[in-house]
Amino acid sequence: MMSDRQIIELCAKHDRKAQQVLYDKYSHLLLGVCLRYASDKAEAEDILQDCFLKIFYNIKDFTGSGSFIGWLRKVAVNTAITHYHKNLKYRYHIEIEEYVSIETGVTSFEEDFFTSDELYKVLNELPTGYRTVFNLYAVEGYKHKEIAEMLGIDTNTSKSQYSRAKAVIRGKLEKLGKLKSSYSENS
Amino acid sequence: MKTRKKDINLRELFRQKLEYAEVIPDAAVKSNLMRRVARKEFLRFNPARLNIYYIGGILITGITAAVILFSGARNSDIINPLNNQDKLNKTDTSSYIEVRAVQPIRTKPGISNVIHNELIRSTKVSPLPVKSESEVSKVVESHQRVTSFPTSLRNSFSKNGLFNEAMPDKKKLQTGFEPEAFLIEPHDSAGCAPLKIRFHNKSTSFDSCRWTFGDGGYSDQRDPEWIFDVEGEYKVVLEVINHAGKDIISTASVTVHPRPQAHFEIALEKTGTPNDEIRFLNYSTNAVRFKWDFGDGSASEIFEPSHIYTKFGNYNVRLVALSDWGCSDSVTVFNALSGSQYFINFPNAFIPNAQGPSGGYYSLKSDEAAQVFHPSYSGVSDYQLKIFSKLGIQIFESNDINLGWDGYNYGQLCEPGVYIWKVRVKFRNGEPFIKMGDVTLLKK
Repeated sequence: MMSDRQIIELCAKHDRKAQQVLYDKYSHLLLGVCLRYASDKAEAEDILQDCFLKIFYNIKDFTGSGSFIGWLRKVAVNTAITHYHKNLKYRYHIEIEEYVSIETGVTSFEEDFFTSDELYKVLNELPTGYRTVFNLYAVEGYKHKEIAEMLGIDTNTSKSQYSRAKAVIRGKLEKLGKLKSSYSENS
Repeated sequence: MKTRKKDINLRELFRQKLEYAEVIPDAAVKSNLMRRVARKEFLRFNPARLNIYYIGGILITGITAAVILFSGARNSDIINPLNNQDKLNKTDTSSYIEVRAVQPIRTKPGISNVIHNELIRSTKVSPLPVKSESEVSKVVESHQRVTSFPTSLRNSFSKNGLFNEAMPDKKKLQTGFEPEAFLIEPHDSAGCAPLKIRFHNKSTSFDSCRWTFGDGGYSDQRDPEWIFDVEGEYKVVLEVINHAGKDIISTASVTVHPRPQAHFEIALEKTGTPNDEIRFLNYSTNAVRFKWDFGDGSASEIFEPSHIYTKFGNYNVRLVALSDWGCSDSVTVFNALSGSQYFINFPNAFIPNAQGPSGGYYSLKSDEAAQVFHPSYSGVSDYQLKIFSKLGIQIFESNDINLGWDGYNYGQLCEPGVYIWKVRVKFRNGEPFIKMGDVTLLKK
């Protein structure tokens, strides 16, 4: 088993074997990132491919100062954003009425109540703009100002998209939660 | 407080569950990726691996070798065209003499001492019907003008009988050059773009000719007229095929200088009142000298002059821009000091981008599809635009003239229909201006 350092060095020399090892080692994690930004798994895999191409050809830029995983994740997020820009013009906005008036009484969610598959599904169903902003803010932990710069939108747009995304997610989780608890009561 | 808590819960939920979540990709993804890597590797230069650069290099070497071999074969054709030459002598005397007459220009004194036996024999035998001395020297004369050959040298050529005998031919055959003649009139010309030149083909007898003008254009006419639109140096080539099927290639050079473009703006802080100093901003290109006419009888040659008008009036300001080569361009602004350069106008309809908010920043180039509602304007300093719906609710406000309305309200595309706008402006001369109107939001 090669260490990360060996892999990086060999990948910088475009060693085919090392690239495969790198892929085998980190593709699971990075697909996890990509899937959050995509509307389905096929799209996520497209992003993943672009992401690995970027990694293979820019690995010499990795200075070794931060964590390697952190760098890989950042590349994945950036690739997803590039993808978002590329696809923006081909994607139709979903009717907004569907999401506007969602009332929710749920105040908190239990951590283990939902599986990560279910959460992914909730994210995948979101409109692209909502999903991207929500991911960047909630999971990646960027500030609204940074998100606005990355996506080329207004800071206020980022904020409003985030809050709407939250509302939609909350609504979906609530529905899902009721469904689940009714199942568990029945069984 | 409550919402804050909810928020953190939701964030925490997603972060804990998904931040380091792992998903197993399809096996096809890996093979696909590796194929793409292989393709990219092939296109990238890498001395250690076979790639497109090696293949390209091999191809280029191969083609070059083929070209060299081919042209080598052609050269040998040119060197031994003796049969051809005999025919030429019999059939086409006029152009033959012309070729001969010019040849001494290419000949350096001294080289002509080396004489090839065979060639001399062939030329001596050839029954060359030479034109009368006066005719030949007329041809020589015309070339003289073009090339300004020293007369003493010409005389020495004449004395040696170079024009009547085969010495030039020998030179031609030794070096393997095609015969070259100065058949193009004018031979050397220059001017400003667009430059119109009529070329004359001076050869007296030929089957066909072909002009290539060096800018991609060509003509088969005898005396074509050509316009050079773009600045640059061009080599005009005339290829004449005479009755014997022999090519004569002749060249001329044309230099086209860039045309200057005069353009200026008047920096008016206030409306033009007497004794205000008015600055003129010069945006001319390709020019080195300028002539200003301020319309009140005074003039200037400074690059960016200032001028004081002593009386109210309508002045026509004219700027002439001149380049180093004497090319010129002029522009006149009529009634330069009237307030007509302050205006703001709005369109009455626009079509927002249905694919998402554009943010509203526009440039005249990028907004050809009229996706942003914005004014055309000049001389605006302060600006405020408000947009209201039919119910009177304000849905947009901008204090930046570069920021127009993209048809979205809080990220949602507004309904197609009529909207009311109101604009407050202050022009640069301090004049306030308020205007209202309506605009129709159209759906694509």
